[in-house]
Amino acid sequence: MKHSSLAKQTRERLALGGLVLALLFLLGGLFQLQIVEHSELLAQSEDNRIRVQPIVPQRGLVYDRDGRIIIDNRPSFTFSLVASQMVEGVTIPNVSELLGLSPEVLDKRFRRNLISRHQPAPVKRDVPFEVVAVVEEQAEKFPGVVIQIEDVRRYTTGLGAECFTGYTGEVSEEELKTLTERDYRLGSMIGKKGLERAYDSRLRGHEGTAYIEVTATGQALGPYAEKPPAPAIAGQGLNLSIDIDLQRACAAEIDSANCCGAFVAMDPRTGEILALSSFPSYDANIFSSVIPESLWTEIRNDSTYPLLNRPLDGLYPPGSTTKLITIGAAIEEGHITEHTILKACTGGYRFGNRVFHCWELSGHGQMNAAGSIERSCDVYLYQVGLKLGVDGLSKYFGLCGLGVPTGVDLPREQPGLNPNSDVLDEIHPRGWTQGVVLNLSIGQGELLVTPLQLAQFYCGIANDGVVYRPHILKSVMHPDGTTEEIVPEVAFRLPFKKKTLELLNESIRLVVEGDHGTAKNLRNRHYSIGGKTGTAQNPGKDNHSWFVGVAPLDKPEIVVCAIVEWGGHGSEVAAPAVGRIIEAYMSKYHPRETLAAAGKASPAPQPLDTALVVEEGRE
Amino acid sequence: MLNYGALDWRLIGAVILLTLIGVVLIMSAQHGAGTDYERSYYLRQLMWLVVALVAFAVVIHLPLRLLDATAYMGYAVVLILLGLVLFVGSSRSGATRWFSFGFINFAPSDVAKLTVLLALSRFFAYSKLPPASKRRLAMSAMLVAVPVALILKQPDLGTSLVFWAILFGLWFWSGLAPGYLILIVSPIVSFAAAFHWLPWVLYFIVLMVGLFLFRPGLAYSLVAVISNLAFGAVQPFIWNRLADYQKLRILTFLDPGRDPRGAGYQIIQSKIAIGSGGVWGNGLFGGSQTRLEFLPERHTDFVFSVLGEEFGLWGTTLVVLLLGYILYRGIRIAGKCRSKFASNMAFGAVAVLMFQMFVNIGMTLGFMPVTGLALPFLSYGGTSLVLTWVLIGLIVAADYHWQEY
Repeated sequence: MKHSSLAKQTRERLALGGLVLALLFLLGGLFQLQIVEHSELLAQSEDNRIRVQPIVPQRGLVYDRDGRIIIDNRPSFTFSLVASQMVEGVTIPNVSELLGLSPEVLDKRFRRNLISRHQPAPVKRDVPFEVVAVVEEQAEKFPGVVIQIEDVRRYTTGLGAECFTGYTGEVSEEELKTLTERDYRLGSMIGKKGLERAYDSRLRGHEGTAYIEVTATGQALGPYAEKPPAPAIAGQGLNLSIDIDLQRACAAEIDSANCCGAFVAMDPRTGEILALSSFPSYDANIFSSVIPESLWTEIRNDSTYPLLNRPLDGLYPPGSTTKLITIGAAIEEGHITEHTILKACTGGYRFGNRVFHCWELSGHGQMNAAGSIERSCDVYLYQVGLKLGVDGLSKYFGLCGLGVPTGVDLPREQPGLNPNSDVLDEIHPRGWTQGVVLNLSIGQGELLVTPLQLAQFYCGIANDGVVYRPHILKSVMHPDGTTEEIVPEVAFRLPFKKKTLELLNESIRLVVEGDHGTAKNLRNRHYSIGGKTGTAQNPGKDNHSWFVGVAPLDKPEIVVCAIVEWGGHGSEVAAPAVGRIIEAYMSKYHPRETLAAAGKASPAPQPLDTALVVEEGRE
Repeated sequence: MLNYGALDWRLIGAVILLTLIGVVLIMSAQHGAGTDYERSYYLRQLMWLVVALVAFAVVIHLPLRLLDATAYMGYAVVLILLGLVLFVGSSRSGATRWFSFGFINFAPSDVAKLTVLLALSRFFAYSKLPPASKRRLAMSAMLVAVPVALILKQPDLGTSLVFWAILFGLWFWSGLAPGYLILIVSPIVSFAAAFHWLPWVLYFIVLMVGLFLFRPGLAYSLVAVISNLAFGAVQPFIWNRLADYQKLRILTFLDPGRDPRGAGYQIIQSKIAIGSGGVWGNGLFGGSQTRLEFLPERHTDFVFSVLGEEFGLWGTTLVVLLLGYILYRGIRIAGKCRSKFASNMAFGAVAVLMFQMFVNIGMTLGFMPVTGLALPFLSYGGTSLVLTWVLIGLIVAADYHWQEY
């Protein structure tokens, strides 16, 4: 081997060359990190030490029209975990035992809400104080556990108001994907149903941001001086058109015998909803807190559907309550006049080879248009319906808002079903006969409406044909103290001339005040009520009982629509209920009239139950 | 008596400056620490500097002949100590490295560096065998292998690598051609390449071509081929025998992102610290990575990261250039010494310092694995500081006596 040794001078040069190379290598690395990657690494350094902490604003409060609380907030304890401080094999097992959650569920919740290693990820909201006490006393068993105080919604109970309040919950991953607003993030609360959902962006306010300097162990050192916090903007307060007194009056109508139903009270002059309730109800507080799995299953499997929002989602045949439309349509189309007397009612009407019965099997005899409403005679209406035909009738149902969403300011409203011949072709692919129109003319058969649609229609009747969009929000209180009034909007006009409307108003007056009226039991000395009974057929079960009332009839201020499921005939259950709700209204807003005339100190409901009970319905 | 004016004062001045920079950095690193004990690390380092200066003064006053004559004796004593520490030493984080004397801990592996350096210097100074002789290579390798075997049992991979660096440096300095050095390293490359068959085959082709061009002789070629094959083959078995933390360190070195909260954490945080310093740094006590304790081992292994964060590129460049100057002086001194022993001794000292500097700073920059090697002069640690000053003492002494044979 020739080159087995090197001269000393060469070795020294090689060594110096090696040293220079090594130094250049290190300096190159320093240049790379401190010049080239400087800004990126600086950002990472900031990210390391600054915890961006959201400042959650107070969610807006919700009041009734008199400024009484319907929804407010209460403080609660939220149990959170901080990843950087957790100890493997200690935190999760101990927390799992304390909260009674399986480690898998706990881990899932923790990961779902994890934003950064140093930021608390909520795993359970609204834990009881006993749990907080255990964590405080045995802190060494729970490294990485943080208890935060957060607001939880509190709903006034006993109002049957859940159908419009809805409730809040943690935003889901699916919702996050569709939401564009910056304010929503994992773990934040969002309105899930009702007005909490419809007005979520008003109620929630805007999150602020605090910048907090933390150590590697996650210990907060205090506000980060170079970035001042962005304060939160509180949510807006909502004044509803709802009247708590009327809500209570509705709730009082529900008992064990009549467990299910819906009430809608509206001001026909504005479309304001005065009361809206659905029974059976549930406690919205349960949903905004932590729902035990068993309770959730129980609610979902309840055969009375407590989660069904009956005024907006409940679909029922309207029964005789839509006879007004049949009569009005026939007059507008020139088939009859107010004086037209049709074939006398003998308790039934033969159509083809079938007899369609009147609910009064002994027959009503002869009558005019208003009389047919007063007595709710089916035979008169069958003949009118045949003149209109399916599509003629369906056109007027649609123009009166049946089968059309009302546009109420609450989410998840059902449109219902207004059958014309096209729809019937779909429903009955093997064909259908004109007999269908007989059913539709008395509000039975395929026609399905929501209680809100019916209330809206009667508002039009009571308001000279002008129909306002039903709404629940009356005004908004901004955090700066200003108030924004919600201006009522006209939704549409009923397709009836003034004269026709007068006739229809006279007819509903006769229902209560006429000698043959089906709701004579509502008659009283102090103010006049108009209304219409209805009985929705419910094959195989008791019929649903309808009543829509208007008061005071000379200058209407309130329309109340009630349906009591399985309540039987409209006059038996729904009509007295509406009478008592109207009485609650009248005694509150016109106390002198009521009390002075009654000569009593307490505005007790009148003895309505002794009144004559008149039946209606048909086979 | 020495003629103090003839000492290399510029070299000494550079070392003092570096040590004082180190003290300041240690002070800053533990500025926000929780306990008084931690906050006073810099005072303890200052105290150790006094001890180191005394050791330095002793070394430069020793006659070189004495060091030369007692080199093997010192080597033997240290071997005994290394054996002993395995039985009576105190443990810290899974490693038995220290003799505990009250509050002072003494690690014989640090002293072993010095004695192995002296023993090798003596061996290469007097061996009559040609540089590439197999016997010479094998004997010198044995001198290192025995203490390394004892240290590996402790276990301390980083320190044992320093010994091989000394051996390598002195093989080169005593005249072994670089081709042989590459051949000797080749089995390690083979070992590393054997993680996957494709790079290993490619590597092996390159090796064969190299052997053909370099023609080191049949015996060397055979040994090289066989050892390369063998290392490649046993790689999986060795890998499986490594401790988990060692495996993790290697894997994390290859890809720090694979475990950002565990083994990769240190490297990531160190890079963030150095990079966020930019050109001018955040100023003394101004490093948030340091102050908020994101940076691990910030007064010992990662003290350079504190420098990078708080003093920026100008600070790091200054320190790298100071270290470079010291090493440059070391190489020049080794080059001019007439005595082979003194020359070897100076170059060995350079090899230790250069290896530690490169591995430590390379680690903080993220291109060297985390080995636990201290940065000479700057890292906190009494024994380490004294040892580096003793090494400087050897270089200064070699310079002072350069004309002696």
